[in-house]
Amino acid sequence: MAPPVLVIAQKDLRQRIRDRSALVLGVVAPLGIAALMSVAFRGAETIHLTLAVVDLDHGATATGLVGALHSPALRDLVTVVDEPSVGSASTAVHGGHAGAALVIPAGFSQSVTGSRPLALTELTNVNDAIAAQITQAIAQSFVAQVNADRLTVATAAAAGQPPATAAAALVNAHLALPVTTVQRAFGAHQLKIISYYGPAMALFFLLFTISFTSRSFFVDRDQGMIERMLTAPLHPQSVLVGKVLSAFVFGIVSITVIAAVTSFVFGADWGSPAAAGLLSLVMVLAVTATTALVIGVARTQRQAEGISSFVVFGLALLGGNFVFVAATPALMQRLALLTPNGWALRGYTDLATTGGGLSVVVGPVAAILLYTVVVAAVAAVLAPRALSR
Amino acid sequence: MTVFALMGVSIRRVTRDRVSLFFIVVLPVLVILIVGASVRGFSTIRVGVVDTGSGPAGGQLTAMMAATPGIELHRYGTTADLEQAVRRSSVQAGLVLPDGMSAAVQGGSTVELGLVAESSNPTQQAAVTAVQSVVARYAGEVQAARFTAGTTSSGFVASLALAHRTAPDVADVRVLSRQAGTTLTTLPQGFSYSAPTMLVLFVFLNALAGSAVVIGNRKLGMYERMLAGPVRSGTIIAGEALGFVAVGLAQALLIVGVGSVLFGVSWGNPLAATLLVGVWALVGAGAGMLAGTLFASPEQATAVGPALGIAFGMLGGCMWPLAIVGPTMRAVGHVTPQAWAVDAWTRLLSQHGTLASIAPQLLALAGFGSVFLALATWRLHRRLS
Repeated sequence: MAPPVLVIAQKDLRQRIRDRSALVLGVVAPLGIAALMSVAFRGAETIHLTLAVVDLDHGATATGLVGALHSPALRDLVTVVDEPSVGSASTAVHGGHAGAALVIPAGFSQSVTGSRPLALTELTNVNDAIAAQITQAIAQSFVAQVNADRLTVATAAAAGQPPATAAAALVNAHLALPVTTVQRAFGAHQLKIISYYGPAMALFFLLFTISFTSRSFFVDRDQGMIERMLTAPLHPQSVLVGKVLSAFVFGIVSITVIAAVTSFVFGADWGSPAAAGLLSLVMVLAVTATTALVIGVARTQRQAEGISSFVVFGLALLGGNFVFVAATPALMQRLALLTPNGWALRGYTDLATTGGGLSVVVGPVAAILLYTVVVAAVAAVLAPRALSR
Repeated sequence: MTVFALMGVSIRRVTRDRVSLFFIVVLPVLVILIVGASVRGFSTIRVGVVDTGSGPAGGQLTAMMAATPGIELHRYGTTADLEQAVRRSSVQAGLVLPDGMSAAVQGGSTVELGLVAESSNPTQQAAVTAVQSVVARYAGEVQAARFTAGTTSSGFVASLALAHRTAPDVADVRVLSRQAGTTLTTLPQGFSYSAPTMLVLFVFLNALAGSAVVIGNRKLGMYERMLAGPVRSGTIIAGEALGFVAVGLAQALLIVGVGSVLFGVSWGNPLAATLLVGVWALVGAGAGMLAGTLFASPEQATAVGPALGIAFGMLGGCMWPLAIVGPTMRAVGHVTPQAWAVDAWTRLLSQHGTLASIAPQLLALAGFGSVFLALATWRLHRRLS
């Protein structure tokens, strides 16, 4: 005969599986929501800009600019389409067929050597701020050399050189911009949206275990179930441990199913299975300890519901399960590290982006374990009271 | 008058329940705060900088970068920290200002600055173009200073300062930006984004969760007992529905109030906004009543309700603007009432919409509300007669 703790855990698990809400919370809801996010953002993970170009000048500088737009360095970022007039380019941007347009005015090439250079005009769509910014940046980079030469002549003139002499010397000097950038790769994988929100949703619904288990403990107690069980020759704590154990098993199964489905169906990257497994295991332990603490602190079923709601949503909001925490202000990012789920999400993110193994999650695992030990210690003191009340 | 007595009971049950109050009052305000503070990412480019001993030159370039609109600058202590930040997407590109940069810009050779970004990552490449354009502007001043120092008697440092002072007087080839006659199709950023979307999300979500009360009443045979008195089934149903409407309206008004006072949200045309809030409370009431007749147990309502509410919110554009998803997802989204409500708020807040301009959305929402309420009434009525 199995030890009483296991029997109690088994009974609780069976009960939860029969009540279909467990299936919804543990598997269907997190998978459904992660899938929704994955499909919704399918196009948003890649930035690619269609840029309409209107060349009304056809001079040397204008041709240079159009050539630069077609350069291999920009090919992955920008597709350039030629438009015959400002009107047609404007229509393309307005209708969303182009993210932005760049207009080179007639007489542009001639004007850049004079004192009143003509301006390039960028046509933008208010709904595509990123396209506007990229177009602006590309155009600015191109006119930078022209402007640098103009500034060079002006500065030399301000220092006392006759402008004509300075201009002539500049032509002979063939200057190129003296400060440039060199891109260096550092071997990071792109963080896909599903690789963040897959774990984030799994953890969010894992946190719900706290509500369910603590509530069910008080329902059992109010029905006199626990008193009846205690008439049997078993240690009072077995009842509590059994209940918490069922939450632990449920959590492990739920997170494993979600990891498997999001990996194979939606292409989420959970990283090395051993490291992700360890991280998930300690996270489920942390949730289990928190459940025990809520049972210890609450006095009634309603209190358990209230406290657990506060804990679940507090942890989920602070930890970054709803908002992508890296994009939030620095204070939010620090607050996230006060929660075990915040640490776990950081661990999953690091696994997905470094491709590393166990060494990557040492920090997060240690932090979550510390949380678990502290919470479990407090729970061990408080929880037995819940049995005797 | 029995209707109002019944409504009063529903409202009292909510106000006496601290858990419900948490979901109705505290949680929406917290979420509006957190989402509002973080939704700026649609148009800012986050750039990280690490200074490994670059001297004054690095300071000048960093100052130029910080003053560039659209770039949000973050400073890091070591290159490893910067790489980690790029990897975690805290910043989209990183610039390394090398040791000895100040001496190098005075020399004759090209100074190379390290850019931390993966070339296979399009988001990072977009940030790279932004960084490069600032570096190019700085390089222009360096070129002018080198040339002037080489051809006149003034030294490099004096020439660089002269170039920096001269720069505003030299007519640059500029890149002007002009709107191509388009109107904003998303909500504004910040709290003006999070407050209306969370109003839509939470009024609906709480109504679904509130259906647990209807299920409880059903299971306890409360309605049948009421029918023993001089009460018609229609009165009972109307009373329950009014209770839902009242709670939804109260929550919506709270969010509108907190939004305007704490977060400075302007809710647009008052008449149109009032009607929209009213119709949305009806939609919520209908959904809550219908859920009350469909779910089997209160546990199901508390488990499935919020999950369903969040999923509808995502489909309907409460979590991210439907403008950024594909046309199929946008069409699918409009199966939910949320999408119509968010569309209406967008017209009110971003396009100075009036009652006339949100009339189609109001009609659609009224349609959703009536269908939900009619189905719920039919199901409850069938049970009670």
